[in-house]
Parts: sequence; structure tokens; C-alpha cells
Amino acid sequence: MQFDSFNEAYVEWLRAGDFRTQEHFRLYFTALIQVKLRSRLRSWEAIEDVRQETFARFYVALREGKIVHPERLGSFVNSICNNVLLEHYRAAARHGARNNNDNDSDDDQPKELPSPILDPLAMFTAQEIQQKVREILDQLPERDRRLLREVFLEERDKDEVCRDFGVDREYLRVLLYRAKQLFKALYLKNNDAPETTSA
Amino acid sequence: MDDDAVVRQKMTERYLLNELDPQARDKFEEHYFDCPNCAADVHAGALFVEQSKVVLRAEDHKKIQFESKAPSVERMAVPPGPGWFGWLRPAFAVPVLALLLAVIAYQNRANVLLQQAVDSPQVLASAVVNLNVRGAEPISVPARGGQAFGLTLNLPPGGRFSSYKLDLYSPRGKLQWSRTAPASGDTLSLYVPAGVSGGDHDPGTLAVHGLAAGGGSEDLGRYPIELQNQK
Repeated sequence: MQFDSFNEAYVEWLRAGDFRTQEHFRLYFTALIQVKLRSRLRSWEAIEDVRQETFARFYVALREGKIVHPERLGSFVNSICNNVLLEHYRAAARHGARNNNDNDSDDDQPKELPSPILDPLAMFTAQEIQQKVREILDQLPERDRRLLREVFLEERDKDEVCRDFGVDREYLRVLLYRAKQLFKALYLKNNDAPETTSA
Repeated sequence: MDDDAVVRQKMTERYLLNELDPQARDKFEEHYFDCPNCAADVHAGALFVEQSKVVLRAEDHKKIQFESKAPSVERMAVPPGPGWFGWLRPAFAVPVLALLLAVIAYQNRANVLLQQAVDSPQVLASAVVNLNVRGAEPISVPARGGQAFGLTLNLPPGGRFSSYKLDLYSPRGKLQWSRTAPASGDTLSLYVPAGVSGGDHDPGTLAVHGLAAGGGSEDLGRYPIELQNQK
């Protein structure tokens, strides 16, 4: 399905229960919500709980005709997610969970999320992605590769890492930007191409 | 916030590096949730970061495995002085060290061959399953026990189901794993890794359920899997 932006037709198809539109909605916003929540919640289960509640409330609002601005569907989903997240924090605080893993402050470092392959259909794509990432990392000078390792894998303080490597934060941003741009070619190909495992 | 500002200020990179204050972060999220271009940029970046960790960690793991398996030559060095270690004289130590070096060389070669085997394209044994046909027809797969294979499931026409639940049971009836896959197209491809049923020659039975968007579920059959080339 070609997708340029959300509009009234998209919302109508969702409301009518068109399963392709529903699938697109689910995959599209699952990805964005997971990225959004990865820096706020530490456990995969908590992220999935918030995601599911967000979707449930969205579909209630959809059925009740509360999508007034279809072109802003994305920010509507985002605002629902923010409300659910706030309630999640409050519930965790009420249960005295400030010392457990599901309550994060905004200053906490992002935690790595597991990347479970939930079904074998995604296995080949995951291997292709890892191969591409490996190629990109192999192309980097050793110093840049170590810099990314210290920041992403070792999760050291970024200012300290930059000092150790004699670079500034802008260098790190540019490094990430260039690596991301190299990776995006494969990413866009996988997301635009028809399903390769279906006929 | 517009796309030009996002690129100019490297908002995606700042966001992924957690450099934005909460207000700027919230504003950027509101933007990319509405903007497919920026959403793709953020998602691609996040995917790259997460997979980099996987790749880098796997390299560390390989390095640690190699280092832990290779015996340390220094530990076999002949200490000076007489006494209990006196028997480790060069007459004995030299052939022992030569043997250890041969083991290391062999292990290196084996690792190279193993890596080549993993990286080489391989033909995957596979079979087709028609979910349209009700019944318990066995799936005959031209594979050996302990060999990976693929299954192509022909989905029922009409798009009745939004997703499919696949359960694999061992020959003894124990649930080995369960997966849910969205319905997309006319087929689903399933990759069954080697040794999925803990070494049993026949992997067991595949049970398929169609899941409707409204919440219903329909049994689409149980298919015993038979491996044709058991030896």
C-alpha cells in the first residue's frame, strides 16, 4: 500500500475494518511507539502494555467518530500514547515501583530492547538487516567503530566518550547521520517492496 | 517544526542520542508521528542503532569464545627450579607445545570452514501446505531429521482472517513453539530451524488457526509433518 500521508480516506478504511489498512496502522504505529518508549520504559512487557492500551483507546475513539483531523492522525495516536504512559507512571508509583524496572525518569539512558523475531517470516529480513549493519560498521575507520561501540553497546556517558576520543558531540551526530543514511537505502527498499514471502 | 529544520538541526540523531530536553523531545515526537518521511528516518536510525548492538555484541562473543578455547601457551611455560615441576623439562614440554600449536591451527581452520558454510547459500528443503483443504493430510517434507526446512502455507481465499496462529507440537503432543503472523498475500512462508523438536526425527504436528480482526478464531487443521529422508 502506497502511503504518503494520513487523510480522510485512510480513516474511513480503518473505520470500515479494511484489514490491509488496519495492518498498516498496526505495523506503522507499533514501530513508532516502540522507538518512542524505548527511552522511557525498560521492559519489553511494559512497552507492549502501553502500546496495546494506546491502540485500544484509539479504536474506541475511531468508532465514536472522534478523529476530527484525519491529517493529524499520527499526533492523535501520539497524544493517546502520552496519556497512557502518564497513567502507567502513576500506577507504577502507586504500587511503590519507583525502585523497580518499569519506572524511568526522563534522564535515564535508553535501555536496549530485545529484538525478538516473533515469527520466522521476519527471520530472513533480520539477517539481511544485520548483514547490512555489519557492512556499514566494517567500512568505518576503527576509531569511529570503537566510538559507536562505546556509545551504543557499552552505553558510556557520551561526553566522556567524546572526550576520550578527542571529538565533540557534533562529530558523533554526523557519524550516526552518515551510518543511518547508508542503512536507509536497505530500510526503504524493505518497506516499499511488496511482501517477498507472499505470492 | 518542518522537515528542513529536522534535517538541518539533526533532530533525528539528537533524538536517538537522547540529547533533546523533554520539551523538545515531545515536540519532535509529535512531528514525526505525523510526518511519514521523518518517521521513516527515525525508525531507520533506531533500527540501525539496535542492530549495531547485536552485531557488536556477537563479535565480542566470538572473540571471547575463541580466547577461552585457545589454551594459554604462557601457562605451560617451564618454571625455573627443581621440585614438583621438574618433570616439565624441555624434553617433554617441546612436544607438548608442538601438539598444542597443532590443535590451535586445526581449530582456526575449522572455524574458517564453519564460517564459510554459514555464509554460503544453501538449498532449503520445502513443502507446500494447502490450508484451503480441511483434513489432517500429513505434510511430506524432503528433509532429514535435524535438518532445517521451509513450509509454504497456501492461505484460504477471501481475506477472512487478519492473522494466523501457528503452533508446532512435538510427536509426543507437547507444544514446542507458537507464532502469530499477519495475513498478507496468498501465502505464508514458515522456516523451521534444525532440531526444533529437540532431536526427534519427525518435527511433529503443525496446527493452524485463522484469527479474525473482530476477535474470532477458526481451526484450519492439524498437519502432521513427515520427513521423507530420515537417514
